[in-house]
Amino acid sequence: MAGTTIVITSGKGGVGKTTSVANLGTALALRGRSVVLIDADIGLRNLDVVMGLENRIVYNLVDIIEGRCRLEQAMIRDRKLNTLFLIPAAQTREKDAVHPEQMKELCEKLEQNFDYILVDCPAGIERGFRNAVAGAQKAIIVTTPEVSAIRDADRVIGLLEAELMKDINLIINRLNHKMVKRGDMMSTEDICSLLAVPLIGVIPESEEVVISTNRGIPLVHDKRSDIANAFKRIASRLEGEEIPIPTEIPGDSGILSKFKKLIWSS
Amino acid sequence: MDNSKGVVPVQIRAQRDGQFIFILDPSMPFQMILRYLEKKRKTSNNFFKSAKIILDLGSRPFRIDEVTAIRDMLRRQWGVKIVELRLGHSLDSFFEWASKQIDIPIKQIPVAEFSMEPVVIRHTCRSGTRIEAPVDCIILGDVNPGAEVIAGRDIIVFGVLRGIAHAGAMGNREAKIWALSIEPNQIRIADLVAMPPQDDKHQPKRYEVAQIRDDQIQVLTF
Ligand SMILES: Nc1ncnc2c1ncn2[C@@H]1O[C@H](COP(=O)(O)OP(=O)(O)OP(=O)(O)O)[C@@H](O)[C@H]1O
Ligand SMILES: [Mg+2]
Repeated sequence: MAGTTIVITSGKGGVGKTTSVANLGTALALRGRSVVLIDADIGLRNLDVVMGLENRIVYNLVDIIEGRCRLEQAMIRDRKLNTLFLIPAAQTREKDAVHPEQMKELCEKLEQNFDYILVDCPAGIERGFRNAVAGAQKAIIVTTPEVSAIRDADRVIGLLEAELMKDINLIINRLNHKMVKRGDMMSTEDICSLLAVPLIGVIPESEEVVISTNRGIPLVHDKRSDIANAFKRIASRLEGEEIPIPTEIPGDSGILSKFKKLIWSS
Repeated sequence: MDNSKGVVPVQIRAQRDGQFIFILDPSMPFQMILRYLEKKRKTSNNFFKSAKIILDLGSRPFRIDEVTAIRDMLRRQWGVKIVELRLGHSLDSFFEWASKQIDIPIKQIPVAEFSMEPVVIRHTCRSGTRIEAPVDCIILGDVNPGAEVIAGRDIIVFGVLRGIAHAGAMGNREAKIWALSIEPNQIRIADLVAMPPQDDKHQPKRYEVAQIRDDQIQVLTF
């Protein structure tokens, strides 16, 4: 089996990376895929809390890398889904306890036995970011419709492109349709035309997210939730299904695609 | 070293104007060059007497001791004068010597940096990118917020300009900014800075040009 490692990253903090990793991972596991979530936010771990697995942690990412435990010993199985695992971050260590090459090695090892490895990237563009992206073949950029988050997302996309990462997709999180209608928020279309990477999903703003985070159960388990369905659709798109994204434009809207249209239609 | 196969320590070429060029072989030890010149003088029957010589070092590094040794030898024994010293591709050794003379490190700015060629960027400039062009800058893509483009003369953006653009950065007020759409927070031309009007709605258009008229930046829409 050759799995895929996907890093979920944003530049700016608090835009919904951890929420996306927890829900996407759960959605993929619900589809029967084997999934490992890696919390690469060393020193500020919280993916375990969102997954409700905090009290099961014995070993962590740094323990694996420093050889204090075997890989399987640090993988915590999800409470509900038996093909979903978490490798938690070390809470009491610094980011430089891990080297990018070591991350790459770990991801390669996991790819032999799992369909998806989702890496929860810390905010920023320093060492922690370098570690998180080192083993990834794909990236999902999470942004909110705020100018500052979009600018950081743009910066991160530039850095990934410089590393020759080709498969970069975008999630717009916390979209508030009312505010967009009033013109108080950037629209999906504006964000896509600026960032010029394919859009893979839009998650609305909702207090359900905060409630589920606090309960430690990813929202995807809630069948009636709109947010849950939005994440499930992203999981389907990741697996290659073509599901249109409601109220938005085709993902690739950079200047080049405009040119293509001109050339082809004349 | 085998110099029987046409490799001579010093090649001597006559010029039309009666001057001679002495071209030194780059790989030959210096002592061989001196010995060769010694031999040459004895066999040349004063042929070079009071001739003008151009000494060409080719790709040989410049060494002051070697140059003065040849100069003194030619002057004293041949009675000829070096009228010109030619240095080859690398001037490093010459700069090394010169900077020792004046006790100040010397840095040569390659001619290419002053080139009139436009700088062409073939992708979107994302946040955090800074592009500097000595003359014109052409961007085949967008300039996003948080990116900066600075040019000595014109800036041409084949896309949407949303980041900072500074044309005529060295003070050229004739400089212009061209873009398919100009939507930045601020643009600069020479010493002037302009901000877009608050109620600016971006209508579809072919392109826009920002330029200076009457001491003000104006943006024309086509
Ligand atoms: N769609 C949403 N609607 C409402 N709240 C949300 C939404 N997405 C995330 N949040 C809330 O925003 C906060 C930050 O989310 P999260 O921890 O996923 O971000 P992050 O990018 O991982 O942050 P960090 O950079 O600190 O790791 C959380 O309290 C979360 O519940
Ligand atoms: Mg997080």
